[in-house]
Amino acid sequence: MVSDMGYTTVKKKIKAFFSPTSSEAEMAVLQESFRTRYQSFRVLLTANNTALELMAEMEQALVLGQPFGMAFVRGHCTAASVNVYKMIQSLQVLSDGKYNGLFSSFKDISEKMEEILARQPDVPEGKLVVPLSQVGKDDADLVGDKMANLGEVRNRVGLKVPEGFVITATATQRFMRASGLQDEINRLLKKLDIDDLESLYSTSAQIQKLISFAPLPRELAQEIEEHYELLYSTGQPHPLISMRSSAMEEDKSNVSFAGQYRTQLNISEDFILQTYKDIVASKYQSQAIIYRNQRGFRHQDVIMCVGCMTMVDAVVSGVMFSRSPRNPRSSWVEINAAHGLASQVVVGSVDTDFYKVERESPNKAMQQDVAGGSPLLSIDRLRILAQIAVRLEEHFGVPQDIEWSFDRNGDVIILQSRPLAQPGETESETDEQMSVGHDDSVLLSGGLTASAGVASGPVFVVRSNVDLLEFPIGAVLVVEHSLPEWATLLNRAVAVVSEKGHVATHLAIVAREFGIPAIFGLSDAVRKLENGVVVTVDATGRFVYSGRNEEILKRKVSRPNLMADSPVYLLLSEIMSLVTPLNLTDPGSPYFKSSYCKTLHDVTRFCHEKAVTEMFSFGEKARYDARSAKQLGGDIPFQWWVIDLDDGFREGFDTHGKYVHMQDIVSEPMLAIWEGMTAKPWQGPPPLSIKGFGSVLFRSTMNPSLEPSVGTSMGMKNYFLISKNFCNLSMRLGYHFTLAEAYLGSHLTENYVSFQFRGGAADRSRRFVRVFLLKDILEHFGFRVEVKHDALTARIEKKEKEKLIEGLKVLGYLLIHTRQIDMAMGEQDKVDQYRQTITSDLESILSPDSMVG
Amino acid sequence: MEKKINILLIDDEEDFLEITAKRLARRGYEVRTALSCGEGISEFESGPVDVVVLDVMLPDKDGIQCLKEIKMLFPSTAVILLTGHASMEAGLECMDSGASDYCLKPVEFDDLVDRIEIVYRDMKSQGSCSS
Repeated sequence: MVSDMGYTTVKKKIKAFFSPTSSEAEMAVLQESFRTRYQSFRVLLTANNTALELMAEMEQALVLGQPFGMAFVRGHCTAASVNVYKMIQSLQVLSDGKYNGLFSSFKDISEKMEEILARQPDVPEGKLVVPLSQVGKDDADLVGDKMANLGEVRNRVGLKVPEGFVITATATQRFMRASGLQDEINRLLKKLDIDDLESLYSTSAQIQKLISFAPLPRELAQEIEEHYELLYSTGQPHPLISMRSSAMEEDKSNVSFAGQYRTQLNISEDFILQTYKDIVASKYQSQAIIYRNQRGFRHQDVIMCVGCMTMVDAVVSGVMFSRSPRNPRSSWVEINAAHGLASQVVVGSVDTDFYKVERESPNKAMQQDVAGGSPLLSIDRLRILAQIAVRLEEHFGVPQDIEWSFDRNGDVIILQSRPLAQPGETESETDEQMSVGHDDSVLLSGGLTASAGVASGPVFVVRSNVDLLEFPIGAVLVVEHSLPEWATLLNRAVAVVSEKGHVATHLAIVAREFGIPAIFGLSDAVRKLENGVVVTVDATGRFVYSGRNEEILKRKVSRPNLMADSPVYLLLSEIMSLVTPLNLTDPGSPYFKSSYCKTLHDVTRFCHEKAVTEMFSFGEKARYDARSAKQLGGDIPFQWWVIDLDDGFREGFDTHGKYVHMQDIVSEPMLAIWEGMTAKPWQGPPPLSIKGFGSVLFRSTMNPSLEPSVGTSMGMKNYFLISKNFCNLSMRLGYHFTLAEAYLGSHLTENYVSFQFRGGAADRSRRFVRVFLLKDILEHFGFRVEVKHDALTARIEKKEKEKLIEGLKVLGYLLIHTRQIDMAMGEQDKVDQYRQTITSDLESILSPDSMVG
Repeated sequence: MEKKINILLIDDEEDFLEITAKRLARRGYEVRTALSCGEGISEFESGPVDVVVLDVMLPDKDGIQCLKEIKMLFPSTAVILLTGHASMEAGLECMDSGASDYCLKPVEFDDLVDRIEIVYRDMKSQGSCSS
């Protein structure tokens, strides 16, 4: 967009124009250069519009708590900085290269942003494989949280865990580097549309295949084999092992990553290396990609480590919580148990016994729900488990979620201990009781509260992965088993109902984390709930009602902000300190310089201000030209000057005179502002109380620059800078400086209305009251408003012309009618009175019946 | 529309190309498509191109390289970059290499149409200014 015409050429031509020998030809040159400037000015305005919109989207992302990934952060940083850069380029063209300093300020800002974006996780260079006997809690950076905790259980708490070793983060990094796959994986991930399930599944499968088929570095394979052979000494040779994912950032109390990665059991010697690669690949399972996106993790920060342990010959296994996951103050331990291996319990594929055991000795059993026949756990075993749960909680300092097994010797083996995922809302203990269902609308009742809360939506039954692809956003997920892979749908489902499963399954843990109501163990759900039928799920009371039950839905609480404090969230917050804060608020300040631009917002503000000034002074200098400032003639209050940038006067208008009249103006935004200004007669300044008058006098004497006669040439008068689609009005009436600007084109992308307001004669508190009154009114009429001290900025962008014309009328009215009301802002009843008058005036101006001439 | 704007879409995603081309044609634009930079450049031989919509990640050539080539061979063609994932450095380099606009993918169709119209108008008026 940079014009072919060099700055110096333009300058020479302008100079020539102002020399006494100016001719018609030179006049044409001037007009041409004016048009070039005006075009750059327009490009600058559009880039400003886009940049501000992108910045607002970035801010919104932090406030709303909706999930966003690194693609959003990177994309927005690039797009915002590109548009700001475009503004600088355009300003350089229209100012003849006057603001070179901007490039270095911008470079400083963008380099700092890039530095934050490029940060890589800090992986310690350590051993490739470490025996579990040498692992403790502090090794999480090397062996992942899961294995670090298990090492701690073995080596510091002194409980029995299976023998084994961990393939470390260093090993995985070496494997991935050697494979050379990371670029290809990044490319696939960048192209992925996370909301499109089909694309998610195919990308996930593609990446996993790449990793599973990549060759393992020789030295790594060798080390794994050597450590495996060391296990021979623990029992029989060639033992079968379990291989468990242990990722960085996993197993934190508020982000569990429960069931997101693969665990493989009964692996024989020949398959260890392949299984290792499969588990590394499982970092890209679809549910894990979704989970990281929902919880604000960068894929690159998650490095997979793999724990390899001898299989436990388990008789009975299960999961226990040192406190109720739905009530962190509970005084009991909750235990789920099933025959055989613990893994069946966490994936929710078997029915389990459920026990509640008191935490305090003698650890009395408070409740026993037995799945079949006789209980799997004796009183003695329940006591042993409860004591272990309390001990682990004490050691780690937070409630724990523990996987355990009893082996054939009757020993307890701990397979995992991690912080218990806590729900956002805490419930009273009575929530465990079923609340009384009323009326015939109850379709199903009973089961377990896997995750408390209420929600409503159409039923969607998922039986297979094929159904999964069709799952609509906002539906109630109905399944037979609470399998971990259904977690892929938890960013789309409003509630989950499962026939099988219990509170200890991975799906339940993730549902609680995401704040999605879930009832598990509700028999017949698949048969009784029909696809497409709207139901209300009350997971707290354990009811499913037909239709939308508003009474129940009143109890709905807002979902937790899953992004807050996540790595991606923190990274964006850090970047935002280089994007949105506005330091350059006062163009009259000595600090309003390019070298003081510390953020992208500062740069946009600076470029915009200087661009307007350039356009203005160019118009003002051309005294004898058609572009010179004309005074607005006719019987009108105050004095106004108009500068035509391009086509703001009607065709055929004689530009030689000193005056222009309203009927000669064809600038649509100016006409709209004018309509707002003149729609209601001005009542004059408000009557002053003695106190209010005193404060005005005081401020005038303290700050002589506030005297209108002392201002700059631009400040002394009220100017309209116009074209057919554009209007910039700068106004300094009395003690206020205001700027209203708009572009009304046929393309939404270019359209906006903006407003800046600063100053006032009264003391600070009165000025603040007025600024907030203005804020309320402007927000009411659809403006996005920001207030800093006594300065206010407001914008509407990318809306249809009609909407913007309304906004301009509002501004026109406010410019005239709120000029001096800050003097009366000391009294609350006056403020309310003004608010009322203003709002009703504006509504009558904007009502379709009002035909204001 | 006084004159039909000639648009060339260069992107390696076939689905995107097909759908976008169809929708643009429905709005009255002359649209051609290319799956690679090389293919795109040879499209210039078959007729005038006013606006190129270019994906930054192309199989045969880096998008920025492609942009530079187009701007060198056909300086009066406006180029809009369409990408979700260029780094800041790459984005700024695109602006220095003469890109007219930069859009984030996925782009709203109406926004894309607006931007095509705007860069076309600006390119035309710039031509008339400096001619």
